[in-house]
Amino acid sequence: MYKARHAWGFLAIPLLLLLLFTFIPSIAAFVLSFTNYNVFTPIEFLGLENYLKAFQDSDFKKAMFNTIYYWLLVTPALVVLPILVAILVNQKLRGIKVFRLIYYFPVLVSVVITAILWKWMFAKEGIVNYFLSWFGIEPTGWLMDTSTVMIALAFVTIWQGFGYYMLFYLAALQGVPKDLYEASELDGANFWKKHLYVTVPMIKPMIFFVAVISTMGAFKEFTLMLTMTDGGPLKASTTVVLLVFKEAFTNLDMGYASAISFILFVIILIITLINQKLLDNPNT
Amino acid sequence: MEKVKGKLLFISLLGIMLFLFAACSNDSGSESDGDQGSGNDNEGTDSGELAGEVEFMTISLLPAFEDYLNNLKDEFESMHPDVTVTINDVPYDQVEQIILTSASSGDLPDVMNLNTEFVKKIGAMGALVNMDEAAADVKDTFFEGLWNTGGVNGTVYALPWYTTTSGLIYNPDILAEAGFDAPPTTFEEAWEMSKVIYEETGAYGEVIQGEMHLLFPKNGIPILNEDNTAAAFNTPEAVELWTNLKEYYDQGLYELDVMLNQVSMAELYATEKVAWWATGPQLFRQVNDLSPEVYEKSLGGAALEGTAGKQHANPMNIAVSANSESLDAAVEFAKFVTNAENQLEFGKEAAVLPPVEEAANDEFFAQGEDSEDATERGRYYAAQSLATAENMSPQVENVSQVIEAIQEAFQQVILNDVDPADALSQAEQEVNSVLE
Repeated sequence: MYKARHAWGFLAIPLLLLLLFTFIPSIAAFVLSFTNYNVFTPIEFLGLENYLKAFQDSDFKKAMFNTIYYWLLVTPALVVLPILVAILVNQKLRGIKVFRLIYYFPVLVSVVITAILWKWMFAKEGIVNYFLSWFGIEPTGWLMDTSTVMIALAFVTIWQGFGYYMLFYLAALQGVPKDLYEASELDGANFWKKHLYVTVPMIKPMIFFVAVISTMGAFKEFTLMLTMTDGGPLKASTTVVLLVFKEAFTNLDMGYASAISFILFVIILIITLINQKLLDNPNT
Repeated sequence: MEKVKGKLLFISLLGIMLFLFAACSNDSGSESDGDQGSGNDNEGTDSGELAGEVEFMTISLLPAFEDYLNNLKDEFESMHPDVTVTINDVPYDQVEQIILTSASSGDLPDVMNLNTEFVKKIGAMGALVNMDEAAADVKDTFFEGLWNTGGVNGTVYALPWYTTTSGLIYNPDILAEAGFDAPPTTFEEAWEMSKVIYEETGAYGEVIQGEMHLLFPKNGIPILNEDNTAAAFNTPEAVELWTNLKEYYDQGLYELDVMLNQVSMAELYATEKVAWWATGPQLFRQVNDLSPEVYEKSLGGAALEGTAGKQHANPMNIAVSANSESLDAAVEFAKFVTNAENQLEFGKEAAVLPPVEEAANDEFFAQGEDSEDATERGRYYAAQSLATAENMSPQVENVSQVIEAIQEAFQQVILNDVDPADALSQAEQEVNSVLE
């Protein structure tokens, strides 16, 4: 009883903050999604009109397609690549901490600075095209072509994010008992088999965590698009959250923006549940 | 003892929670107190003098123009002793969010410096004072083409404060290398010169910028019909214009990177990749910041003309909140800020142009024709075009969506080789559905 009181005491402030800044605004946004709220004119109840509009809106469909495409480019890379890097920086080598820091460094750079830097690098006369010209590849405007813009943006996200997830995996790797590796060595496992049959199963909860977090990150991403391409060209890099931002703050259609947000919320929820089911299944 | 400690901890946490609640409610409490105060303010004094508190929101003008703004405030307060003006300067990129937040809490600034698109948007929603009525007495002091800037659905919701029309900064070295001794004066001439400049020097001449939709009215093609209810740009002239622009693109005469915000014109010009840059002369100094050598050799000239012979002006506006509790004082302050005397003074300080005729006719703006400084000469030419300049943005609340539809249709022509006539038809349909 005494411990429970203590626990509630400690939980009270975060709970209050969550209530004030997350739950209440979320409920308010859900209510607004059934209205024509635009800040300035009186609110009218529209029923499901905003939701029906979303499913007929070509901009929303395009933004959803872009978001899923971006997620498919980003999340598998952010789940797998950091494991490999974490295994490498988990070795007992001299100066390994320097490598850890170097790989983590992009995480420390603000998104806006990252956007400016990569915008220069992806320019037609930028350094990316310069390197590619060594292999005889013609220069292209990476951020000005509808077929390459998302790939370029996904690359930047992976560059900036993999150090962050590497750190999670590193923590998980350091919790894997050494004797499991010794036992697998005795059974004749090579480097790859050790990691496939020992490391991966042991860090499965962390893989699930990274998959969920990076999925949510991919579905929520918009700063990079806003600062690097403003959703263009021809809306090829407009993600759902960027569309929400534009509908809410450029077109002042807060009700519609709220409806889109809740559709996105349901999609993320479904993907997270599928993720959880897959990773909870002992056969996967 | 442990129990006492536990109780103390619990009470402390409860106290913090209560404090947080109290902090929140205190704020609104004090705000409503203040509101009540200003609610009384708008009554005015018995003698009919103006009274009240006026919050004046400006955009990115502090600290550069602190003295000017403080003088405005002091002078107005001395003319109206019962009025208190507070200046609240906000960053350019946060204006719209600040306005929305203020509006949702019912606390919109009384007098606001707003860009044209946002004026149209919130004016149409009834958030701003109708200036056709409230400032009818000063309407004739403004250039006619500029007075309508804050117009939407036939009503003007803002007073033009300061403006720019385009001038031209050009690089005489690049022109000389291509065999020219003077910059172009029309778009037609500009594209002809661009071909030669590109062949001879590898630099670009004319470049399609972000406001390409303005090429329609500059070339006599209206964007919307007279009553602003439907698109009017799908004409044979527009098809010809876009067909020509597509040809120039295919010839390599320009890239789409400026239009797609991948590079700024200032950077292109400062690195001598373009021979000229048509923009407001107040922006010429950006070249000086990036490359003083290039700025040093640059000269200023008149902006390029289309077949309509008119220039676009894009003023910053002063609007008054329709819910201001000091409405009369706020309208009076808006008129005071935009009167000829104050506009002239601001024009001198900020290298911008006044939309008020009397101020624009001051001899200050008649200087600079022979100046070696690109900004001064550019400002001279820009000032000369003020009388015939107009704000060419469509006067509808969905102006951003109209512009976006046109821009995207043009991008379809360039990036996806869509036929200009088809792209214009598509844009026409989209604009019409936006206006429905």
